[in-house]
Amino acid sequence: MNLNESKDFLVHTSSLKEVRVFSREVFEKLNLDEDLKEELVLAIAEAAQNIVKHGYKGVEETSDRMEIKISLKDSNLEIGFFDKGKPVIPENIQHRKLDDIKPGGLGTFFIKQIMDDAVFKKDEQQWVNHLVLSKKI
Amino acid sequence: MSYKITEEGNISTVFLNGEIDMDVTETAKEAILPVIDSGKEVHLNLKDVSYMDSSGISVLIESHQRALEKGTKVVIKEVSKSVLKVIMMAKLEQILNLE
Repeated sequence: MNLNESKDFLVHTSSLKEVRVFSREVFEKLNLDEDLKEELVLAIAEAAQNIVKHGYKGVEETSDRMEIKISLKDSNLEIGFFDKGKPVIPENIQHRKLDDIKPGGLGTFFIKQIMDDAVFKKDEQQWVNHLVLSKKI
Repeated sequence: MSYKITEEGNISTVFLNGEIDMDVTETAKEAILPVIDSGKEVHLNLKDVSYMDSSGISVLIESHQRALEKGTKVVIKEVSKSVLKVIMMAKLEQILNLE
Protein backbone atom coordinates (compact mmCIF):
# COMPACT_ATOMS: atom_id res chain seq x y z
CA MET A 1 0.00 0.00 0.00
CA ASN A 2 1.28 3.43 -0.90
CA LEU A 3 0.25 6.51 1.02
CA ASN A 4 0.94 10.22 1.12
CA GLU A 5 -0.61 12.40 3.81
CA SER A 6 0.35 15.75 5.26
CA LYS A 7 -0.95 18.21 7.79
CA ASP A 8 0.25 21.48 9.22
CA PHE A 9 0.21 22.52 12.86
CA LEU A 10 0.75 25.70 14.84
CA VAL A 11 4.25 25.70 16.31
CA HIS A 12 3.26 25.34 19.95
CA THR A 13 3.42 22.68 22.66
CA SER A 14 -0.37 22.42 22.57
CA SER A 15 -0.09 21.05 19.00
CA LEU A 16 1.86 17.98 20.07
CA LYS A 17 -1.30 16.07 20.94
CA GLU A 18 -2.75 16.91 17.51
CA VAL A 19 0.47 15.66 15.93
CA ARG A 20 0.04 12.32 17.70
CA VAL A 21 -3.63 12.10 16.72
CA PHE A 22 -2.76 12.77 13.06
CA SER A 23 0.08 10.23 13.12
CA ARG A 24 -2.07 7.53 14.71
CA GLU A 25 -4.84 8.13 12.17
CA VAL A 26 -2.40 7.73 9.29
CA PHE A 27 -0.79 4.60 10.74
CA GLU A 28 -4.23 3.07 11.37
CA LYS A 29 -4.63 2.96 7.60
CA LEU A 30 -1.46 0.93 7.29
CA ASN A 31 -2.52 -1.81 9.69
CA LEU A 32 0.78 -1.61 11.50
CA ASP A 33 1.65 -3.65 14.54
CA GLU A 34 0.52 -1.69 17.63
CA ASP A 35 4.02 -1.52 19.14
CA LEU A 36 5.57 -0.28 15.89
CA LYS A 37 2.78 2.25 15.47
CA GLU A 38 3.38 3.72 18.92
CA GLU A 39 7.15 3.81 18.35
CA LEU A 40 6.63 5.74 15.12
CA VAL A 41 4.20 8.10 16.84
CA LEU A 42 6.84 8.73 19.53
CA ALA A 43 9.52 9.45 16.92
CA ILE A 44 7.25 11.90 15.11
CA ALA A 45 6.20 13.58 18.36
CA GLU A 46 9.84 13.94 19.43
CA ALA A 47 10.80 15.52 16.12
CA ALA A 48 7.85 17.91 16.33
CA GLN A 49 8.79 18.71 19.91
CA ASN A 50 12.33 19.53 18.79
CA ILE A 51 10.94 22.10 16.37
CA VAL A 52 8.91 23.76 19.14
CA LYS A 53 11.63 23.48 21.77
CA HIS A 54 14.79 24.19 19.79
CA GLY A 55 13.74 25.69 16.46
CA TYR A 56 11.73 28.36 18.24
CA LYS A 57 13.80 28.63 21.41
CA GLY A 58 13.34 32.04 22.98
CA VAL A 59 10.24 32.78 20.90
CA GLU A 60 7.35 33.48 23.26
CA GLU A 61 4.59 33.08 20.72
CA THR A 62 4.44 32.55 16.99
CA SER A 63 1.81 32.13 14.32
CA ASP A 64 4.23 30.00 12.29
CA ARG A 65 3.13 26.56 11.29
CA MET A 66 5.07 23.36 10.81
CA GLU A 67 4.13 20.68 8.31
CA ILE A 68 4.41 16.94 8.72
CA LYS A 69 4.24 14.69 5.68
CA ILE A 70 3.97 10.93 6.03
CA SER A 71 4.52 8.86 2.93
CA LEU A 72 4.90 5.18 2.26
CA LYS A 73 6.15 3.73 -0.98
CA ASP A 74 7.16 0.10 -1.41
CA SER A 75 7.61 -0.45 2.35
CA ASN A 76 9.77 2.67 2.66
CA LEU A 77 8.24 4.97 5.22
CA GLU A 78 9.33 8.60 5.03
CA ILE A 79 8.26 11.29 7.44
CA GLY A 80 9.05 14.86 6.48
CA PHE A 81 9.10 17.80 8.88
CA PHE A 82 9.07 21.32 7.51
CA ASP A 83 9.52 24.41 9.64
CA LYS A 84 10.57 28.04 9.52
CA GLY A 85 12.44 28.10 12.81
CA LYS A 86 16.12 28.71 13.42
CA PRO A 87 18.30 26.94 10.86
CA VAL A 88 19.41 23.58 12.20
CA ILE A 89 23.10 22.75 12.05
CA PRO A 90 22.98 18.94 11.88
CA GLU A 91 26.53 18.57 13.17
CA ASN A 92 25.48 20.27 16.42
CA ILE A 93 22.70 17.81 17.18
CA GLN A 94 23.74 15.39 19.87
CA HIS A 95 21.78 13.40 22.39
CA ARG A 96 23.18 13.16 25.89
CA LYS A 97 25.14 10.13 26.98
CA LEU A 98 22.75 7.64 28.54
CA ASP A 99 24.93 7.14 31.62
CA ASP A 100 24.85 10.89 32.29
CA ILE A 101 21.52 10.74 34.08
CA LYS A 102 19.83 14.12 33.90
CA PRO A 103 16.59 15.55 32.55
CA GLY A 104 16.53 16.30 28.81
CA GLY A 105 18.48 15.27 25.76
CA LEU A 106 16.64 12.03 25.04
CA GLY A 107 14.33 13.03 22.18
CA THR A 108 16.95 12.71 19.48
CA PHE A 109 18.14 9.45 21.01
CA PHE A 110 14.62 8.03 20.79
CA ILE A 111 14.33 9.11 17.15
CA LYS A 112 17.62 7.38 16.31
CA GLN A 113 16.56 4.24 18.17
CA ILE A 114 13.26 4.01 16.32
CA MET A 115 14.07 5.19 12.80
CA ASP A 116 16.61 3.88 10.29
CA ASP A 117 17.75 7.31 9.23
CA ALA A 118 17.32 11.02 10.00
CA VAL A 119 18.59 13.54 7.46
CA PHE A 120 18.22 17.30 7.11
CA LYS A 121 17.71 18.25 3.47
CA LYS A 122 18.13 21.62 1.81
CA ASP A 123 15.61 21.21 -0.95
CA GLU A 124 12.69 23.34 0.15
CA GLN A 125 12.95 27.04 -0.62
CA GLN A 126 9.78 28.03 1.23
CA TRP A 127 10.90 26.38 4.47
CA VAL A 128 13.99 26.83 6.64
CA ASN A 129 14.40 23.26 7.83
CA HIS A 130 13.38 19.99 6.22
CA LEU A 131 14.02 16.88 8.29
CA VAL A 132 13.35 13.47 6.78
CA LEU A 133 12.99 10.42 9.00
CA SER A 134 12.93 7.11 7.19
CA LYS A 135 12.34 3.49 8.07
CA LYS A 136 11.78 0.30 6.16
CA ILE A 137 8.59 -1.29 7.48
CA MET B 1 -3.24 15.05 31.76
CA SER B 2 -4.85 15.08 35.16
CA TYR B 3 -3.68 13.94 38.56
CA LYS B 4 -4.79 13.23 42.10
CA ILE B 5 -2.79 12.85 45.27
CA THR B 6 -3.59 10.57 48.18
CA GLU B 7 -1.86 10.38 51.57
CA GLU B 8 -1.30 7.35 53.74
CA GLY B 9 1.08 7.68 56.65
CA ASN B 10 4.39 8.97 55.36
CA ILE B 11 3.62 7.99 51.78
CA SER B 12 2.03 10.30 49.25
CA THR B 13 0.80 8.72 46.04
CA VAL B 14 0.50 10.83 42.92
CA PHE B 15 -1.81 9.23 40.37
CA LEU B 16 -1.10 10.62 36.91
CA ASN B 17 -3.64 10.13 34.15
CA GLY B 18 -3.51 10.62 30.39
CA GLU B 19 -0.69 11.54 28.05
CA ILE B 20 2.47 13.23 29.33
CA ASP B 21 4.28 15.41 26.84
CA MET B 22 6.07 18.75 26.82
CA ASP B 23 2.76 20.59 27.03
CA VAL B 24 1.97 19.20 30.48
CA THR B 25 5.37 18.66 32.10
CA GLU B 26 5.10 21.83 34.18
CA THR B 27 1.73 20.66 35.53
CA ALA B 28 3.21 17.25 36.33
CA LYS B 29 6.17 18.84 38.12
CA GLU B 30 3.86 21.18 40.05
CA ALA B 31 2.02 18.11 41.27
CA ILE B 32 5.03 15.96 42.15
CA LEU B 33 7.91 18.16 43.28
CA PRO B 34 6.20 19.90 46.26
CA VAL B 35 5.27 16.49 47.66
CA ILE B 36 8.89 15.38 47.38
CA ASP B 37 10.02 18.65 48.96
CA SER B 38 7.80 17.89 51.95
CA GLY B 39 10.13 14.98 52.67
CA LYS B 40 7.56 12.24 52.19
CA GLU B 41 8.13 9.06 50.24
CA VAL B 42 6.37 9.55 46.94
CA HIS B 43 4.72 6.84 44.91
CA LEU B 44 4.05 7.75 41.30
CA ASN B 45 1.24 5.62 40.00
CA LEU B 46 1.41 5.47 36.20
CA LYS B 47 -1.19 2.81 35.43
CA ASP B 48 -3.40 5.35 33.67
CA VAL B 49 -0.63 7.08 31.74
CA SER B 50 -1.17 5.96 28.17
CA TYR B 51 1.71 7.86 26.57
CA MET B 52 4.95 9.43 27.73
CA ASP B 53 7.66 11.07 25.65
CA SER B 54 11.16 12.30 26.52
CA SER B 55 9.68 15.28 28.39
CA GLY B 56 7.80 12.92 30.68
CA ILE B 57 10.94 10.87 31.19
CA SER B 58 12.68 14.10 32.23
CA VAL B 59 9.99 14.61 34.89
CA LEU B 60 10.69 11.12 36.25
CA ILE B 61 14.45 11.76 36.33
CA GLU B 62 14.02 15.18 37.96
CA SER B 63 11.67 13.69 40.56
CA HIS B 64 14.09 10.85 41.29
CA GLN B 65 17.02 13.23 41.68
CA ARG B 66 15.06 15.72 43.80
CA ALA B 67 14.07 12.88 46.14
CA LEU B 68 17.70 11.85 46.54
CA GLU B 69 18.58 15.45 47.43
CA LYS B 70 15.80 15.52 50.02
CA GLY B 71 16.76 12.18 51.53
CA THR B 72 13.60 10.44 50.45
CA LYS B 73 12.62 8.36 47.43
CA VAL B 74 10.23 8.16 44.53
CA VAL B 75 8.80 4.77 43.70
CA ILE B 76 7.15 4.28 40.31
CA LYS B 77 4.15 2.02 40.63
CA GLU B 78 2.01 0.11 38.15
CA VAL B 79 3.76 1.50 35.14
CA SER B 80 1.77 0.94 31.96
CA LYS B 81 3.26 -1.16 29.18
CA SER B 82 3.69 1.78 26.82
CA VAL B 83 5.46 3.90 29.43
CA LEU B 84 7.68 1.01 30.53
CA LYS B 85 8.81 0.63 26.95
CA VAL B 86 9.95 4.27 26.85
CA ILE B 87 11.67 3.97 30.25
CA MET B 88 13.52 0.91 28.95
CA MET B 89 14.41 2.66 25.70
CA ALA B 90 16.07 5.33 27.86
CA LYS B 91 17.78 2.52 29.80
CA LEU B 92 16.42 3.89 33.07
CA GLU B 93 14.78 0.75 34.45
CA GLN B 94 17.78 0.15 36.71
CA ILE B 95 18.01 3.79 37.81
CA LEU B 96 14.41 4.60 38.65
CA ASN B 97 12.68 2.67 41.43
CA LEU B 98 10.12 0.60 39.54
CA GLU B 99 7.65 -1.61 41.37
